[in-house]
Amino acid sequence: MKTATTSKKTRSRRSLSKTDRFTLSAFVGIPTLLQILLLWVPAVVTIFLSFTYWNGIRLADIRWAGIQNYKTIFLNEPLFYEALKNNGVWLAFFVLVATPLGILLAYQVDRGIKGHAFYESIFYLPVVLSLAVIGIIWNFMLQPGGFVQGLMGLDIGNAISIWGNPDINTWVILGVASWRHIGYIMLLYLSGLKSVDPALKEAAAIDGATEWQIFRKIILPTMKPVNIIIVVITLIESLRAFDLVYIIYGSPTIFPLLNLLVFQNFAGQGLSMKGAAYAVILLVLCIVPIITYLRIVFKEDLK
Amino acid sequence: MSENTNSVSRRSLLKGAAVGGLGLVAGSTIATSSADAATRLKGSTVRWTTRGGGATGDKIAKAVNDAFAKKTGAKVVAQQVNSDDFQNNFAQIMQGSPDDAFGWMAGYRSNHFGEMGLLADLTREINRLKPTLPTSAIKGATSPISKKPYILPTTYYPWALHYRKSMVKEIGMNPEKIDTWDDFIKLMTLTQKKGLVGYSLGAKGGWEAMGTFDILNARINGYKYHIDLLNGRAKWTDAKTKETFKYFAQLIPFMNDNVLDISWDGMRDLLLQKKTGAMMMGSWFANDFKAKSQADYDDLWVVPFPEINPKWGIDSIDAPLDGISVAANGKNVAGGKALAQFWASPEGITEAIKAGDTNIYVSKSFDTSSYDSFNKQKLAVLASAKNIMFFLDRDARGDFAGPVVGPAIQSFIKKPSDINKILESVQAQWDALPKN
Repeated sequence: MKTATTSKKTRSRRSLSKTDRFTLSAFVGIPTLLQILLLWVPAVVTIFLSFTYWNGIRLADIRWAGIQNYKTIFLNEPLFYEALKNNGVWLAFFVLVATPLGILLAYQVDRGIKGHAFYESIFYLPVVLSLAVIGIIWNFMLQPGGFVQGLMGLDIGNAISIWGNPDINTWVILGVASWRHIGYIMLLYLSGLKSVDPALKEAAAIDGATEWQIFRKIILPTMKPVNIIIVVITLIESLRAFDLVYIIYGSPTIFPLLNLLVFQNFAGQGLSMKGAAYAVILLVLCIVPIITYLRIVFKEDLK
Repeated sequence: MSENTNSVSRRSLLKGAAVGGLGLVAGSTIATSSADAATRLKGSTVRWTTRGGGATGDKIAKAVNDAFAKKTGAKVVAQQVNSDDFQNNFAQIMQGSPDDAFGWMAGYRSNHFGEMGLLADLTREINRLKPTLPTSAIKGATSPISKKPYILPTTYYPWALHYRKSMVKEIGMNPEKIDTWDDFIKLMTLTQKKGLVGYSLGAKGGWEAMGTFDILNARINGYKYHIDLLNGRAKWTDAKTKETFKYFAQLIPFMNDNVLDISWDGMRDLLLQKKTGAMMMGSWFANDFKAKSQADYDDLWVVPFPEINPKWGIDSIDAPLDGISVAANGKNVAGGKALAQFWASPEGITEAIKAGDTNIYVSKSFDTSSYDSFNKQKLAVLASAKNIMFFLDRDARGDFAGPVVGPAIQSFIKKPSDINKILESVQAQWDALPKN
């Protein structure tokens, strides 16, 4: 068996013609080169800069700072811990509420419940909007003097504090973010569900499996590739959250998120390499769980 | 940046020659510069950024730019940007492909970027305008480090107590006499009794509330202490700083409940809709009152923030100096400089005022007796102080004001009782900044 595959491999490798080889290396080489140039080089430079003091303008002004930027962030920045908390809550909410809701919706739509086409388009609608646009819409609705406050008969002077109230704003922001995320997950999952062979479900049903059993034992395992994508997307979406909150607040201080802090410390006159340090922290936070998760998944696959 | 690298391109020169062939070139001079410069500009494109201001801002920019275009034959392409976004991304914009000239702010904001080589040196232009500019304005526009001006000073305005005369009359007080701390408290109390906001404040962006902090600190601890504090020579944990926040905390019960939800435009709307007693704000927003109606504008009034500590009286004021800067990396630096000079020249100012600008100009070129009563009052408010501050985010370094002081004031408003902890954190963050 083993020798057979090896000989097959060598044969197929030999059979590559010159043009094939050229095409292949171009298809692999160019994206790799771009990836290295546009992603890994800046990443490495950012990591280097996070150990310096610099205002980002003249190269000659760069000074070595050691771990001082990180020390400042960990010891002296109240915003950092608030941001960690907010990103954590965001992640937990997406993992526990928004993503399962999206999956549930996809499942219901796929089952063809009454009016499923209607639900599908309703929930899909927010996905066509970028988070920035969603931020503009909801800010317009909820800000003092905005549409919703106006409907409640409140003017700017006595408008309810929504964006500025720490007890409320987290949930409102998560609600607005989920508004789009649920549709997104639903769409992804739906496309996966469409490819599940209905015969599998029918066979299970004939064998007397309940709806829940079918979902757990048949659909979830067949959907594994989609599941992986969804887990990774949920993780990344929660950690990289930025645009929605930036549009609403314009500054990172009332509802801090890690990405907002990266931006604030990289922007304008506030430009300092503390921003780079924040970016590195964020990179580590994103990469570690994703790599761990993917390794576990692929290890299982190898077995 | 040398001017040569940005000189007019061949194509625009040809275009200019074609236009020049049709008409007479003679006689078109910009302000005090030579006819030669005007010919050079003919047919070239100068790009201008209006920093905020809405429709009024666009109207003023169009009036001045059109006059410049008519005079020089250059084409001016203008755009308006969101003021906060422009500020936050300034370093990046200036390193990219910036517009040639734009409205900007004196103080740390222009000096810092000028020294970094992002703003053009305007020594020649400021010298040409010298006959019309007071020395204080030239000094304010000149960087103390390189001794070069990176901005041509045009307007300034007081950050002071604004209210509507009609509303003060309604609560039975004399709008011309809101002088003392007691008057101020009485005004807020009576307004609040009517179910309105006593003292409106916004802090959504973090910077809006700095105006209130600045004036309280200057009134309580004096100008020198305030500037020392912003530059690290005094401590945020000092009992004197805490005293300032004690007074700040006294104002909170009079404030709107949604301080963190609104920005300066929310504050403006509150006053415009007669929903608030008083507020600390830069007088620039008066343009929007005038745009609404002359009656609203006539009702608006401004007085110095009242005395707290008799030792200082009302000797300090936040009076940010604005002006025009030129991007060193612009495509047409020479054109940008000419346009900037035009904006700061008596001719440009006349156009701006004709188009509805209510700002007061530093230029000595015209007679302040033609000012309306609100502008005369602004001048009086400015004259009442002998120490001029530029506003916290122009007096302090940029990696401190926005990222540290702004959020600290927001946290204070969220939970005033945390002030000791907050001030310790501010001091720790100052101490952690890289010092030169």
